[in-house]
Amino acid sequence: MVKRERLDIIKDILSIIYQNRNSVKITPLIRQSNMSSTRFKEYYHELLEKELVNEIINGGNKFVSLTNKGYRFLEKYNTIVSFIDEFEL
Amino acid sequence: MPPFTGRTVFEGFVGQQFRNLFGLGLGAELFYSFVIIVCSLMIYFGTKELYELSSYKGIKYFRQAFLFFAIAYFFRSFIKFIVIYFNVKGVIDFFPITFGTTGILAQLLFLYFSSMAIFYLLYSVMWKKWNGRSYKLYLFHGIAVVIALISVLSRNPLVYLGLNIFLLLTVIFVVYTSYQHKKNKKKGHNLYFIYVLLSLFWILNIIDTLIPRFFQGLQLFIYLASTFVFLLILYRVIKNVGAN
Repeated sequence: MVKRERLDIIKDILSIIYQNRNSVKITPLIRQSNMSSTRFKEYYHELLEKELVNEIINGGNKFVSLTNKGYRFLEKYNTIVSFIDEFEL
Repeated sequence: MPPFTGRTVFEGFVGQQFRNLFGLGLGAELFYSFVIIVCSLMIYFGTKELYELSSYKGIKYFRQAFLFFAIAYFFRSFIKFIVIYFNVKGVIDFFPITFGTTGILAQLLFLYFSSMAIFYLLYSVMWKKWNGRSYKLYLFHGIAVVIALISVLSRNPLVYLGLNIFLLLTVIFVVYTSYQHKKNKKKGHNLYFIYVLLSLFWILNIIDTLIPRFFQGLQLFIYLASTFVFLLILYRVIKNVGAN
């Protein structure tokens, strides 16, 4: 179930950003996602690389927000999980 | 004594007239291939967004399986076209005729893509248990190339049969082992059965393509059953992903 956990974690991180009106600083994001900073970094780089989130510099502070693809992931999350279950993937 | 083939058995039951009734022409063959190719491509493109969003390996291998089924069916229709249009007995007769090289190349690609489609389907279910090690995938590519080369070089129907029976037994063994080790055996969850059926009818299709007279008369039933299995999987994909 390693891979399912990965999808869950991605969904949790994206949900936190969404619940913070689509703009959150990195430190509160790490805290709210209940992960070690090393593990968070791993996922965060993946999210940036896959263009699910992007970074916005505002007044010298770095904020994280969802991209359209990030929104789409949240919309489709249940479909993805049920598809994986349905086909035993 | 006549050779013991599907045809002789079938004729024993229902006779020549009934066999002629179900004799399939080029049009029917191409239509059948077209339906399967469309089903496979709908599954492949229908799951594109899910994979792009999730980058989930299981979805990737599942999609690859159906892309390879589509490509294999394309080459299958090409082989069928040569066999029916030029009225040759089967792929064994490809060497002496002028289109030999093209026919053999089509046969080689057909066998490679067929084997890989089944291997990808297996891998999509088993990749977690095999710890997602990609070297196994390279191994499968290697086995598929070897199967294709042995089939083409040997030009022996018994070798075709043997290799495909070996492939089918491997699929049944892996799927059965996986099902036995599965903790959460959902009631009425028959996906493993569908995968075995898909592999079975696919392998019957391969035998039918390589040795056309083996199943002569029974082809219609094999085609209908194969179409049903593909449509069933497509239905389950659409049910999950949506008609878009």
